[in-house]
Amino acid sequence: MKKKIGVYICHCGGNISDYVDVEKVKKSIEDEGGVYLAKTTMFACSDSNQKDMVDDIKGNELNGIVVASCSPKLHLTTFRNVSERADLNKYNYVHANIREQDSWAHSDDKNGATEKAILLVKAAIAKARLAEPLIPNKIQAQKAVAVIGGGIAGMKAAIALSDKDCPVYLIEKAPFVGGRVAQWGNMFTSNQTGEELITKLYHELIKRKNITLFTGAEVTHNAGSIGDFRLKVSVQPRYFTGTCEEKQLQQAIDACPVEVLDEFNFNLTKRKAIYRNAASEYPQTATIDMENCTRCGKCEAICDKIDLSQKEEILDLHVGSVLMATGFDPYTPAEGEYGYNEVDNVLTLPQFVRMLELSDKKLIRNGKEIKNIAYIYCVGSRQEEDGNTYCSRYCCTSAIHTSVEVKKKFPGVYNYHFNRGIRTYGKQELLYAESLQLGDIYLQGDEESLPEVSGESGKTMVKVKDILSAGRLIEVEADLVVLVTGMVPRADNSVGSMFKLPKGRDKFFNEIHMKLRPVETFIDGVTIAGACQGPKNIMESVNSALAAATKSYSYVSKGELETEPIVAEVDAELCSWCDACTAACPFDAISMTNESSKAIALINNSVCKGCGMCLPVCPTDALNLIAYSNNEIESMIDALAAG
Amino acid sequence: MTEKIRKSAKILVFSTEKISDPAIDMAGLLKLHYPPTVYTITVPCSSGIKSRWILHAYEKGFDGVFIAADGTDCVFGESCTEKTGQLVGRTHVLMKEKSLDPARLKMAAICSVCSESFVKQIKGFNEYLLKTTNP
Amino acid sequence: MNGPSNQLNFDALVVGGGIAGGEAALNLASTGYKVLLVEKELSIGGKMIMLSKVFPTLDCAACITTPKVSEISRHPNITIFTSSEISSINKIAENNFEATVVRQPRYVVIEDCTACQLCEQACPVSVPDQYQYNLVGRKAAFIPFSIASPKAAAIDIENCVLCGACEKVCPTNCIDFTQEVETFQVNAKTVILATGFKLFDPLMIPRYGFGLYKNVITSMQMERELAPTRPFNTVLRPGDGKVPDKIAYVLCTGSRDATIGNPICSQICCMYSIKQAQLLMGALPMADVTIYYINIRSFGKGFDEFYQQAKGMGVNFVKGKIGKISEQGNGNLTLRYEDINEGIVKEADHDMVILSVGVLPNQDASDFFGQDELQLDPYNFIHQTDVLASPALTSIKGVFVAGTASGPMDIPDSILSAGSASSEAISYLIQE
Repeated sequence: MKKKIGVYICHCGGNISDYVDVEKVKKSIEDEGGVYLAKTTMFACSDSNQKDMVDDIKGNELNGIVVASCSPKLHLTTFRNVSERADLNKYNYVHANIREQDSWAHSDDKNGATEKAILLVKAAIAKARLAEPLIPNKIQAQKAVAVIGGGIAGMKAAIALSDKDCPVYLIEKAPFVGGRVAQWGNMFTSNQTGEELITKLYHELIKRKNITLFTGAEVTHNAGSIGDFRLKVSVQPRYFTGTCEEKQLQQAIDACPVEVLDEFNFNLTKRKAIYRNAASEYPQTATIDMENCTRCGKCEAICDKIDLSQKEEILDLHVGSVLMATGFDPYTPAEGEYGYNEVDNVLTLPQFVRMLELSDKKLIRNGKEIKNIAYIYCVGSRQEEDGNTYCSRYCCTSAIHTSVEVKKKFPGVYNYHFNRGIRTYGKQELLYAESLQLGDIYLQGDEESLPEVSGESGKTMVKVKDILSAGRLIEVEADLVVLVTGMVPRADNSVGSMFKLPKGRDKFFNEIHMKLRPVETFIDGVTIAGACQGPKNIMESVNSALAAATKSYSYVSKGELETEPIVAEVDAELCSWCDACTAACPFDAISMTNESSKAIALINNSVCKGCGMCLPVCPTDALNLIAYSNNEIESMIDALAAG
Repeated sequence: MTEKIRKSAKILVFSTEKISDPAIDMAGLLKLHYPPTVYTITVPCSSGIKSRWILHAYEKGFDGVFIAADGTDCVFGESCTEKTGQLVGRTHVLMKEKSLDPARLKMAAICSVCSESFVKQIKGFNEYLLKTTNP
Repeated sequence: MNGPSNQLNFDALVVGGGIAGGEAALNLASTGYKVLLVEKELSIGGKMIMLSKVFPTLDCAACITTPKVSEISRHPNITIFTSSEISSINKIAENNFEATVVRQPRYVVIEDCTACQLCEQACPVSVPDQYQYNLVGRKAAFIPFSIASPKAAAIDIENCVLCGACEKVCPTNCIDFTQEVETFQVNAKTVILATGFKLFDPLMIPRYGFGLYKNVITSMQMERELAPTRPFNTVLRPGDGKVPDKIAYVLCTGSRDATIGNPICSQICCMYSIKQAQLLMGALPMADVTIYYINIRSFGKGFDEFYQQAKGMGVNFVKGKIGKISEQGNGNLTLRYEDINEGIVKEADHDMVILSVGVLPNQDASDFFGQDELQLDPYNFIHQTDVLASPALTSIKGVFVAGTASGPMDIPDSILSAGSASSEAISYLIQE
C-alpha cells in the first residue's frame, strides 16, 4: 500500500526553533517519497495540534505519521495515542528527536543543527514508509506487588496498596521494620516521635491480611519483567519459634557472652548477639545476630523458644510490579573530616539524636556536662565537583529541630550553628525563627571558608570566618561538635543492580522524568519511592510512596498489560538451523521446529523480550527484529548519509 | 564536492533505548556540544546490532560508526557486554577484508547518565576520523 | 432552568485544574473512576501552563503541561467544568458528598468554536490581559491564551459593550449571548482539593514602588516575558520598551516577612529566580543580572547544581536585604540595601527590577464546607491532619488535599502530592 505520511515539525515554543530553522526543515522534506503533508507547529503536543493531527489523519486517510520534536522518552506515547484516536495503528507513528539530540546539543551551530534536523526527519520518514501495523502483546499481570524496603516509605506504600485490595509482599532486609525513622526522636512538624509513627504504621500493617511481611529478608534473584516478576527471597531465621517469657528473655540476653556495637544507636552503645530491639522496633520478637553469635547455647538453655538450628528459607514470589523503597545511608564523614574519629567529642547528627534519646537528666559526654554545642552543616552535602554536589534537603531543618529539642530538654545548653545558608524551606521557616528567638547563634561560612575543628589540650575549638559579621574569624569552644550529615545512596546497591535500575548523577535511583513520570523507572514495572530516589523528608517520602503505590497498582489492577510487540522473527527460507541463535538468546525463547520437513528456528513470542541478541549471530541473516528490520535500519542509514 | 574544510566527520551512533539514548538526551539537556554531523539510530540493545548495518553505513559515506553500548547496565542481561564485544570483533574482521580501517568502528559503554563521557568519546572519535579519513 | 440534567453523579470531585488537580484527576480516571474537574478559570493548566521553562532541567513548562492538559481534556472518565466554582460541599455520609457547582456563562459554545480569532479581531474593546499579567491588552472577545484548554473564545461580559461585532464575524455562529449562569447539584463519593495558591501582591510593600515605577515588575510578569507564548517576543522593560541590561531580582518579596503577615518561606522563589536569571543570560547575553537574597534555598534534586551553574554563568549573587527602591528620571531604579556580608548599607542602580513574589494561600476552599469544618493551618493553608504519615488527609474524612493548597511546593512535589492524594482517595473509594 502506498504510504501517505503526515510530518509535523515542532517549534517547541523556541526550544527547537531558536536554533533550528523549522520552516527550512519543512521545505526540505515535503517532497520526500510518501510525504503527503508537512506542517510546523508551535507545540506538537498541545491539545489543538493533537486535534489537528487526528483531523489530518482521518480527513486525508494518512497511514504514516512523523513528529519531529523532543525526545521520544517524553512524548512517544502521546503521539502513539494520537494515531490510535485517529484509528491508525500506533506503530505507523515514528518519532524524530530534534530537541535533546539536535537543537539543544547544537545550539552553538544553527546551520549544523538545521541540516541535522533535515536528515533526522528524512530518516524518520524512511522508517515510516516501511512501518507496518502491529498488535501489542497482551500479557497477564499478576495482581500483587513486592515492596522492597520496610522503612516509612515502604510501609506506607504497602498499606496504600493493601487498601486497594492488592496483595503486597513487604520485604525488609533488617530484622525489624521502621528504617531510619525508627531511630529518630521527636519530629518536626507534628512532634510525633519516630517510635510513635512506626508503632502506628506497624499495627496498620499487621492488621491487613493481604500484606505479607518478611523481615531479615532479601531479594536474591529476579527473572521476568513487568506483570510477571519471579523473585527469589531469602529469609533469615530469627532463631525463635515463639515469644519467650519476658523474664526468661532478659535472662537469656544477660547470659549471652557476646557484645557488639549497636548499629541502631549508631555504635554509641553495645548490645548482645541475642537482642531485642529498641522499644520502637517491630516485630517485637527478639532475634539473634548469627554473624556474631558463637553458638555457645547459653540462651537456648534458658528459653525453649530459642532454636539455633533454624535455617534460611528461600521463597518464590510472583508479582506484577516491584516498588523500591530502599532508603538512604547517613553520610559517614571521612577520618578527620571536621575532626571526626580524631577529636573525641565529634558526633554525627544521627548519633547525636540517639544520644539525646538515651540521655535523661543531663547531657554528658566523656563525663563532662555539655554546655556548648557546635553544629557544622552540610557535612557530606554541597561538596566540590566529584563529591556529593547536591543539597541533602532535610538536614537544616533536622539540625535546628534537634537543637531546639536540646534546649527544651536541657535549658542550660548553648547552640552554635555553623551553617552555609539556612534552608528551612516552606513552613519549616518557623522553626528557624523559633531557634533564633531561643537565642541560638548562627555563624555562616561559605565554600571558600568552611569551619575548622581542632582538638588540643582537652579543648575542642570550632572556628569560621563568619560572613554575617563581615568575615570576622569567630571561634567557639565546644563541648560537643555535631556534624550535620546528609543523605547518601545506600552503599549496598545489590538489589538495585539486580533490577538494573539506572542511577542519576547523584548516584540515587533515577526517575524517568522528574515532572512527567516522577516515580517510574526505565525498567518497566519497577517504581521508586522515598529517599532511594534522593534526599527527602518524611512527608515528601510518604507522598512519593503513595504516588509510587498508585503507579504500581495501575500496572497490576487490570490483570492484563499490553507490551511492545517487538520480537524477533525468522525467515524460514534463509534459516538452516545451526543453533547459534538459541545459544545467544538469554531468555530461552528460541527452539527448533519443523516446517515443510525443514528444521528451522521458532521464536516463542511470549518469552522473547525483543533484545535482538540473536540477530548478529545468525550466519545466514535469517533473523530480524520487528520494527528494526534490515530494510528499516538501512533505509534510515541511507537517508542520514544523503546529506 | 565543495572544497570547504570539514569541521566534523560524519558519524553514525547506535544508541540503546533505555541506557545510552537517555545519556545522549541528557548531553543535549546539559548543552554539552558535539559535532552536528553525529546521527543516532536507537535500537533496543547494543548486542543486537548487525555487522551489515555498520558496513552499509561506510558504504553510504559515513566516516565512523560509534556503538554506545549498554555495558553492564543492560536490562536484557549480563551477556550483553560480551556479545556486543563479539559483534564488534566480527565486524572488524569484515572491515579488514574490505580494507576499511577497523578504528572507524568504535564502541564504548555509555551508562544512562554518562553524558559527559559520551561527548568526550565522540569528540575524540571525530578528531581521529578527521585525521585519518579522506577529506 | 435547572432540569434533571443539572443533577450529576461522579466518583470523585476534584476542585482546581492546575497541575496537581489534573494529575489527581488523571490518576483516578485511569483507575476507572468518574471524575468531575472544576476549574475557576477559562482554561485548565493552572499557573504552570503560564510559565516559561522549569527548573532545574529547563524543560519548557508547556512541553509538560500541554500534553497532560490534553490527556485530561479527552479522558473519557473526566468531565471538565471551566469558569466554574464550588458554592458549597456537604458531607451527607461517608462516600456521599453533595456539592453545588456554579458555572459562569462563557457566551461561546465551546464545541463549535474553532479558535479562528475573527471575533478577537472584530471586538472594539481593549482591556488588560490578565493571562499576560497585564503586560499587554486583550479584547473583550478573546481566546485566553494560545495553549489554553479548551482552546475556545470567551466573552468578557463585564467589559463587553454588546456591540454584536463578534457575533457577526463568527463563521460557526458559536457566540451565544443568551447563555446564563448554571447551577449543578453534584454527588461525589470523595473530594480532592487542589485549589492552589495565590501570588503575593507587592502593592502591599509600598517601599518597593511596584505599581508606581513601571520598570518594577513581578516575577510572574517576567515569566510571561520569557515564555514561548510571550507578549513582546523579546525581553523589555514596560516603562519605555527598552531592552534592559542591568536587572535586579529581589528575593523574599512577601515571604519570610512577618510585617506583611507571611513569616514562612515560599520554597520556589529562589529557584525560579535563578532559572529566570539563566534564561535572561541566554536571551540578553550582554545583560548583568543581580540576585539580592537572604539565603539561597536550592534544596531539591539537581537544585544546588543549578545554583552553581548560574554562578558559573556570571549571575551576580548579593546577600542583602532591600530597604527601598526609588526611581530616577530615566526610569532606572536605585536599590538601597544592607550588604549582609559587609554589614553596611549600599546603593546600586538597575534598569529593571523583578520582585520575586511569594506563595500565599488560596482560602477559597475554607468556604465550601457547611457543617464540617475544613481546618486551616496558622498560615491559612489547608491543614494536614497527619502531616508525616498521611500528608493528603484533611480534617474531613474523604476530603483530600493535593499540591500547593496545603503549603508552598514546587512542581515535582505538587505532582507527588497529587499522586499521594489520589492514592488516598482510591483507597477511600475501595474501602468504604
